[in-house]
Amino acid sequence: MKILIIEDEKALSESIATYLASQEYNCEIAGDYTTAIHKTEYNDYDCILLDITLPGGNGLKILERLKEDKKTDGVLIISAKNSLDDKIKGLNLGADDYLSKPFHLSELNARVAAIIRRKYFDGNSVLQFDNLRIDTQSRMVTVENNPVELTKKEYELLLYFVSNKRRLISKEAIAEHLWGSDIGGNFDFIYTHIKNLRKKLLDAGEADYIKSVYGMGYKFTSQ
Amino acid sequence: MKLLVKYNRVNIPIIVIALLISSMGFYFIIHFALIHQLDKDLRIEQMEIVHYVKEKNALPETSNYKDQKIEFNLTSNNFFKSKFSTEDVFNKRENESESYRTLEFLITVNGKNYIAEVKKSQQETEDIVQLILIITLAVIIFLILILFIANRFLLASLWKPFHHTLEELKQFNLSSKNKLNLPQTDINEFKELNETARSMTQKVSNDYELLKNFTENASHEIQTPLAIIKNKIELLSQSENLTNMQIHSIQSMSDAASRLSKLNQSLLLLTKIENRQFKNTENVNLSFVINHCIENFEELNALKNICIEKNITDDIFIEMNESLAEILVSNIIINAIKHNCPGGTIKIELDTGSLAVNNTGIPPQLNTTELFERFKKDSSSGDSLGLGLSIVKTICDTYEFTVSYNYKDGMHVVKINFLPNYK
Repeated sequence: MKILIIEDEKALSESIATYLASQEYNCEIAGDYTTAIHKTEYNDYDCILLDITLPGGNGLKILERLKEDKKTDGVLIISAKNSLDDKIKGLNLGADDYLSKPFHLSELNARVAAIIRRKYFDGNSVLQFDNLRIDTQSRMVTVENNPVELTKKEYELLLYFVSNKRRLISKEAIAEHLWGSDIGGNFDFIYTHIKNLRKKLLDAGEADYIKSVYGMGYKFTSQ
Repeated sequence: MKLLVKYNRVNIPIIVIALLISSMGFYFIIHFALIHQLDKDLRIEQMEIVHYVKEKNALPETSNYKDQKIEFNLTSNNFFKSKFSTEDVFNKRENESESYRTLEFLITVNGKNYIAEVKKSQQETEDIVQLILIITLAVIIFLILILFIANRFLLASLWKPFHHTLEELKQFNLSSKNKLNLPQTDINEFKELNETARSMTQKVSNDYELLKNFTENASHEIQTPLAIIKNKIELLSQSENLTNMQIHSIQSMSDAASRLSKLNQSLLLLTKIENRQFKNTENVNLSFVINHCIENFEELNALKNICIEKNITDDIFIEMNESLAEILVSNIIINAIKHNCPGGTIKIELDTGSLAVNNTGIPPQLNTTELFERFKKDSSSGDSLGLGLSIVKTICDTYEFTVSYNYKDGMHVVKINFLPNYK
């Protein structure tokens, strides 16, 4: 999978590239408007991460040109402005999603994965992790053909884990992904939430993939 | 003290005194002029008598009319000088004394000296003077009356632009962005006042605008470095073989960065609401927004063992921005969850005019109204930013909803009244 990161802040684009590379994505970086136009014109990407404020031009212009050229690259806008107008404009121009800075890399990664799933499998994608199978269209989860009954949030949590497999995910990132806002507290309730999910998966015959990393968060891994 | 009262207190006595002095002067001048006229008449009478004596060589007859008397008395004084005098003569018929102007002069008939005495009544003169006094008094009373009425009505209308300007200044609100609507006036003082008020409010508004823009720009600029910090921490935490101390440090850094980013986002949101950047309003189905929000936090509540009782009337529509409606509802509900105790309850009630969210929790230590202020938070709220309720308040202010927060019977009650804006 090929990803283009259009972002003028070098430290940021490097972090994103490092994280996405760990999920077996092939990342390229464009640091300004002209490079971005050049790269998008001669290459096709599975997903483009697009910053709106760029040296040399507005990121939304790149989006416009992509659509004019009938390109089907998935586009995720990442903006520091968090402005509603930009968000609406971007989505109207055909962007697939919008994420405002600062964000968790795990969140960015999950969004990229979702865009690629929608683009290439028409939403009909099946995610496989060892003996765990997630049908993202029917939202069915099975472990060796045993169906697992999950609540909506448990399903979202599992999908988030599988999208960020083998990576450490902080409790805060999980809370934000599931509830979308600052719910405060010490995230102890996440522990209960994960305990429930883990129990359901274990009962269905799966090995314990959810590893708790002391003091930091959780990791979904078979090792 | 009103300006008018103060002005009248000085003005009316001065007018009365001036009128009294001038009427006194007027009295003396008129009196003097009339006496002078009488004296002239007496001189003419004298000349007639002298003329008569010269012609007839005899004294004319004495006469005694009411307004004119002539008498002759023999005298031995050859050097009597003619003189005017005023004397009172008692009138038996009318039983009152009358003033007469008298001219005495020496006249010689057939070698005998007489003092001729010609008297004319001053009655008319005095009548005129009296009349003048009455008229003057009437004028004083009339003037004071006119002044009073003028002050009441004319001055009230003259001061109208001033009061209008004052009212506009009282209504002036920095965040509402309304310009002063000052009345046109041709009075220089008020023109100057309006000019000054206009330029002053303009300057204040500009400064405020600059400050807000600064806040917004600063917040935006902070986002990118924050994103770098957060993402680097996230990458760092992926490293293998971290020591416990390193994990602890990474966790602390991560918490601090998150706090900073949430703080920044909340401040940015507040600035945006105050800047009226959420312009588009629509008929938002608040019942739907609330139900959706409760659903979103359903499992969270189950985990915290919180029981939700809801009494939500269907299809309550409120004219407002949809994003702000969602922020408003989720802020109140998150507050009710966050500050609840395990096994507590949340009661949510929505009807046509109001939304009330009640929740159990430990009693607030601060005055509940203070909690609407930025960064005011109860010491028990832990790492909460203290901005949630001020965001609620700012949104309510934008749409002229009234919001209250009370603690009653062990329940925290946040109530929003949509009147008069609800449909």
